[in-house]
This record gives sequence, C-alpha cells and structure tokens, in this order.
Amino acid sequence: MLAMSLDKPDTMRFFGADMNAQKFEMLKNIPIFHELSRKEILEVDELLHERVYDTGEIVFDEGDPGHGVYIIVSGKLRADPSHRLLKNTVLDFGPGELMGELSLFDEAPRTAKVIAIERTVTVALFQAEFSSLLLKNKNIGVKVLVEIARTLSRRARQLLLQEKHLPSL
Amino acid sequence: MKTFPQPGAITLLVVILITCLALFLFQKIIWLVVPLLLSLMVYYCVRPVMRTLVIRGMQHETAAKLVWLVLQLMAATIVFAGGLLVVAKAGTWQNEILRYVAGGQTLLRETAGALERAVPLFQSMNLGTQVDQNFAQFTDRFAEKKLLPVFLQSLKWLPFLLLVPYIIYFMLNDSVRLKKYVIRSVPNAFFEKSLLLFSRLDTSLQNYFQGLLLLTLLDTTCLGLGLEILGIANAIWLGLAAAVLAWIPYLGSFIGCIMVVLVAATDHPESARTAYSCLALFLGVRLLDDFVFLPLTIGRKLSIHPVLTVLMLFLGGMVAGATGLVLALPLFGVIAVTGEAVSQVVTDRKLRTRYQAARQLVLSREIV
Repeated sequence: MLAMSLDKPDTMRFFGADMNAQKFEMLKNIPIFHELSRKEILEVDELLHERVYDTGEIVFDEGDPGHGVYIIVSGKLRADPSHRLLKNTVLDFGPGELMGELSLFDEAPRTAKVIAIERTVTVALFQAEFSSLLLKNKNIGVKVLVEIARTLSRRARQLLLQEKHLPSL
Repeated sequence: MKTFPQPGAITLLVVILITCLALFLFQKIIWLVVPLLLSLMVYYCVRPVMRTLVIRGMQHETAAKLVWLVLQLMAATIVFAGGLLVVAKAGTWQNEILRYVAGGQTLLRETAGALERAVPLFQSMNLGTQVDQNFAQFTDRFAEKKLLPVFLQSLKWLPFLLLVPYIIYFMLNDSVRLKKYVIRSVPNAFFEKSLLLFSRLDTSLQNYFQGLLLLTLLDTTCLGLGLEILGIANAIWLGLAAAVLAWIPYLGSFIGCIMVVLVAATDHPESARTAYSCLALFLGVRLLDDFVFLPLTIGRKLSIHPVLTVLMLFLGGMVAGATGLVLALPLFGVIAVTGEAVSQVVTDRKLRTRYQAARQLVLSREIV
C-alpha cells in the first residue's frame, strides 16, 4: 500500500502541492526518515528520486562506482556478492532497508551486484544532493545521519559477532 | 567546464551540425532564446545567495520569493532611472551621437594627415581625401538610416524581456522539481550516471555564468580606472558598457573599443594622444583579459580550440546573422558538453546491456 503513490503514472507537478498524505506516510515509515517532521519530510522529498525495478532487473553491478543510497519502499532486492566475507550475510533486502549507504560517504565501487527479485519500488538519494542537504538543513542532516550511523553500527556489530546480517554495499 | 573529455572528430562534426541547426531554429524564436539565456545567467548568479538564505534557516520558497523580489526591485530601479535619463536627453540624443561621430571623423582625418606626412606613398594615394569621402558616405543621414532601425528593433524586444522575471522565478522556485522530472524519464540502467552528469553539468554552467559575471566586473574596473586616469568623462559607465559588449565575441570588443575611442576623440579634440591612449588601454585590458582574468574566472569553461571558435563564429554569422554571432559560441559549448555527456551514458556498453536486458524483461512480461 505504501508504494501506491509511487506506482501512479507520473504527472508534471511543478506548481502544485507535491506531497499527498499517503506519500508522506510512506516516507515517514522509512526508518531513516522516521524522526523527521512533516516539513522536513517535504524538504527531503524534493531530493529523492523514485525508481521502480521489475523482477530480474539489475539495480547496480559489482564494481560500479556508487553515487547514492537506495531505500526500499516495497518489494525485494537480492545482493549477489563475489567477496567471500559477504557470503554469510543475509542477501535479501526488504521494505525500509537501506542499500548502498557507504556510497554517501565515498564513491568507492559497489561491493555486490543487486537484482530485484520481485517488482520493487525504491527511493534513491544521490550523494551530491545528500551533501547539499547536510549544508542546507543541519537539523535534517543530523537526524538522517544518525539513522544511517545506527544502521551501519548494527550491521558492523552483527558482522563482528558473526551473526546473520544485511551487508553494507 | 573541462569536466568531460574532448569530443572525437565525428562527435565534433555532429555537434557543429546540431549547433548550426539550433542557430537556424533559434533565429526564428530569438524572442524566447535571449530572455532564456539572460534568465539562466541571472539564475546561476543569484542561486548561491538563495542557498545561503536557505542554509540560514529560511524556507526554500520564501528564499526564492525574497531573492526574486530584490531582483525585481533592482531591475525596476534601473529601468526607472534609465527611463528618466532617456526622457531628459531625448531632445539631444541625435545631436550627441552626431557630435561623437564628428569627433571620430576628426581623429581619423588627423591620423590620415599624420600618416601622409610620414609616408609619401599615402600622400600620393590621397589617403586623407579617401577617408573623408568614405566617412561622409557612412555618416550620410546616419541617424535616419542606421540608428532608427536599431532603435525600433530594441523597442520590439522590450515586451519579450518581460519574460525574464517570470523564467527566473520559475527557475528559483522549481528547478529542483524540474530536475527530478527530467531524471524520471531516464531508464533505470542509466539513472545513476545521468544524475552524476546532470549534477556536473549544472555545476559547470554555474561556474561559467558566475565566471562571466566576475570577468565583466574585472573588465569594468580596469577599463573604468584606466579611462578615469586618462580623464574621460563617465569612465565607469563606459567601462561597464564595453565589458558587457565583450560578451559578444570579437565583434563586441571591437564595438566597445570604437565607442571608447569615439568618446575620447570627441571629449579631447585637441589631443589625439588621449584617443590613442584609450585604444592602447583597451588593447591592454583585452590582453589582460585573455591571459590573466579569463583563466582565473572562467578557467573551467569550455575549452574550444581557437580555429574552431573562429569557424563557429563564421558559421553562426552565415546561418543566423548577428544572432548567430552572439549565440554561436555559448550554444556550441552547451551542445558539446551535453552531447558528450549523453554519448558517455549511451555508449557505455555495460549500461546498454543492462538497459536491453531490462527491456527484454518488460517485453517478455507483456507477452505473458
């Protein structure tokens, strides 16, 4: 249901209100935007790019330069890493999960190939736009950064304890 | 704007052809192209101000409205002051122009006389008489034949310039949404790379327009100070006019130089040396411009080979007359960068394969 607003055909909305209640709820339910107020979500929404992937479609390939993070709204993506350290990780990413968050901080190559295993709706946040957000609105920047840091530390801890975890790609 | 590598020979040819075609088309809608270019320039120059306001806590839309309002106030003040000046001088402008033309004629006559005295060959050629005859032909009913059409053409332009504030407001307020809208039409396979190239192109355009404005400021300062030292009246305004005219490659600089020399020759008829000093000053500033200011300000602008620059100016002039001369280089630059960016995205074999695979998926799903 969350993805409904994203599945609608695109319309040109230059002068109209860009955000409806459903879309606001959809973004609010994503963990990294959970702490944001309505006004702040409106601001972040300006920077998010909605992408829909069909089953079997490649989102990015191992070795591709990473330029942004994908947040899954609905559907499922599967990572296919060649690195042996990542072989023990959970390879399926579901709604609300972040993918490619490391590329927000550097432009290192992606560490795994990612494919949609069902029709998947994502929102992408591009590195350059994330940096401008950090400059423009430090409040939002801090809240989003803290959530990303939480995700990273959870995954790092699970990696250290050799628990099953989602990899940071 | 050296963000992208130089295009290959075929790409270059395609870019030249597209530029010529675009110039031909733009000539037909020049009323829209010029306001659009002006708006782009103003937008990229005021965008940092708007960003600063947003960083300091102002809402995006409020900041856009505030910046736009300040721009409108500034424009209204300039138009009002300019209007008052034009009305005040309306009765004398024709005589004033003819006075400056006569000043130029005197300078030419004196120069021809000096040359005749120094080189006997010129004397046998009757250089002075020839200069006089040509000048008399050129200035015969000058105001009626040459100035009136220019004035009427300018009046025709005024309504279209009203588009500028509207476009600027749209860009300040909605450029982010416009970018999102454009990116939305890009297939998934090319999404990240397109976004990256879009971002680089945006930064390069900003650098170019801001650089151009800074260059104009530096030119105005140097010319204004130089003319002031030489004792020319309204030195800063003359410097500004010459610096703005220099936006038109080669031709603009030439017109600016003639204008400055005419003013000097008329205001100081007793001393031809002042006019020559102005000419030397102008040439000096142009050299300074090309070798010092330009690399410092528009260092990252498109690096177009000088031969190609001249070729594009000729082609622009042939295809679209004066409009072509003005628009040829900026348009060539934008098309070259865009073409290179698009070719980088489209010719990436890995991305193309991914795109084709995604299309196959969609097709097979439709068949099922």
